[in-house]
Amino acid sequence: MSARGEAELPFYFGPERALFGLFHAAGTPARKAVLLCPPLGQDQIRCHRLYRQLAQALVADGVAVLRFDYYGTGDSAGDSAEVDWERCIADAATAAAELRARSGIDQVFAFGARLGASIALASAAQARFAGVVAWDPVLDGRAYVEQLDALQLALRIDRARFMQPRKETDVAAQWLGFAISDSLRQQIAGLHFKRPAAPTLLLESLPPDRPRAWNGFVVDAATIRSLQPPTPWDDPRRLEVAILSHPLIQAVTQHVREVA
Amino acid sequence: MQEQAFRFGRARHLVGIAGLPSSAARETVGVIVLNAGLVHRIGPFRLHVEMTRRLNAQGYPTLRFDLSTIGDSAASGESQTRHQQICADVADAMKLLGEQAACQRFVLIGLCSGSQSAHMVACSDARVAGAVFLDGYAYRTLGYHLRYYVPRLLDVKRWLGVFSRRRRAQQGSGEPAFTVAPLPQAVVRADLAGMLERGLKLCLIYSGGISRYFNHARQFRECFGGLVRHPDVFTRFFKEADHTYILTGDRNRLLEQIERWLAQNFPVTAGASS
Repeated sequence: MSARGEAELPFYFGPERALFGLFHAAGTPARKAVLLCPPLGQDQIRCHRLYRQLAQALVADGVAVLRFDYYGTGDSAGDSAEVDWERCIADAATAAAELRARSGIDQVFAFGARLGASIALASAAQARFAGVVAWDPVLDGRAYVEQLDALQLALRIDRARFMQPRKETDVAAQWLGFAISDSLRQQIAGLHFKRPAAPTLLLESLPPDRPRAWNGFVVDAATIRSLQPPTPWDDPRRLEVAILSHPLIQAVTQHVREVA
Repeated sequence: MQEQAFRFGRARHLVGIAGLPSSAARETVGVIVLNAGLVHRIGPFRLHVEMTRRLNAQGYPTLRFDLSTIGDSAASGESQTRHQQICADVADAMKLLGEQAACQRFVLIGLCSGSQSAHMVACSDARVAGAVFLDGYAYRTLGYHLRYYVPRLLDVKRWLGVFSRRRRAQQGSGEPAFTVAPLPQAVVRADLAGMLERGLKLCLIYSGGISRYFNHARQFRECFGGLVRHPDVFTRFFKEADHTYILTGDRNRLLEQIERWLAQNFPVTAGASS
């Protein structure tokens, strides 16, 4: 067994020990700490491997890392239909406190992909993040909801998946494999970010045909960095294919290395 | 009941989540859920989380975990074939669940490659009392070809689209394809017969998502012969569902079926509850 594996500790934490976490201890006394905020829904499953790789790359740089699942997601307690935006923000703050307690480091940075980036941004003040790295964050909630609705509707007649088209009622109240409540739909539709509450690096890798909503969000263009190749977040043919990105891991580890 | 997270295994390299009903009796089987492909232990669309929690509520101790090098599990550092690794990993999982819940017999559940993993362990480990194979081994049969081609031969619209599809197919997707070669049909048939001789109970549930090689409930018999009529074999074809049960209604029907099969074949010993 490698020392690396032994240093990755799975556990439950938070109120009623409802949240699953996996703490990656740094081999040497950690100098920094990073909380990895997962995306929601199928993006969370697709990014699982990448988040683990990123955690291990950060640990190799002497950074303590906590990965975790929000209530109603992953291995945490709760049903998928119980995912709530405000609870996700509170869970991120709880996880940041857990990371501070386990690592002994007060200065915690956050990383997130898609809605995970949105949650990191939304919880920045409450969780006292020293900085946020946001990878293709969802900044325009209404457009994102419309996009997921369209993908879900297309799923109904996906001949590569189903022998026969499905009824509309079969696909209702779900987004790409996960039950979705009306309240979460409304919460996400209402998302709108203007200024980040913490120093933010925005990593963008959306395909060229996807609208960007970065304008009006980040005031300094130097805090936006493009990654290649584009990430196929919304390609229905790759719905169950893992998202992997070496450039992303390099960009995040380099940024964390350079920030004070 | 709260779930518990474990790092375990002969090299403490495996990560899993155990659901331990408070008063599970020693006679109750433990249920172990194996990785579906490279998806980590929560399963496609969180299928394994829903499954284990529902079974916990019925009184079954459960463990969903990541095999070596999948999900959050590391490599064991041993020099083993993948077959040996999987058998040793599942043995570690049975040891853990046995220690935590005192169960001595186990039912393995696996989807797709998880079904193949369950199959290989069920062939050799005496602690396995039953297995649920979701989209497990299957083979194109004469019946499959007739059901597939006859309607198409009679469909004029399909003939018109043949050439454009052929052109697209020739262009190819450019994506590398990684697949596991299936065991020969005769081997699988002999394996299943051997499991039944040893007293295992088997549940085969296949979905419409594998219609490239399985398209009717009759195909269980076409593939595996008379052994599907064995009283300890249960088969079901969910034609409407896809391979990974992406719709919540399909997932619910699958889980109800598994719960019913377990209750009939491995009832929870009186007194056990969540």
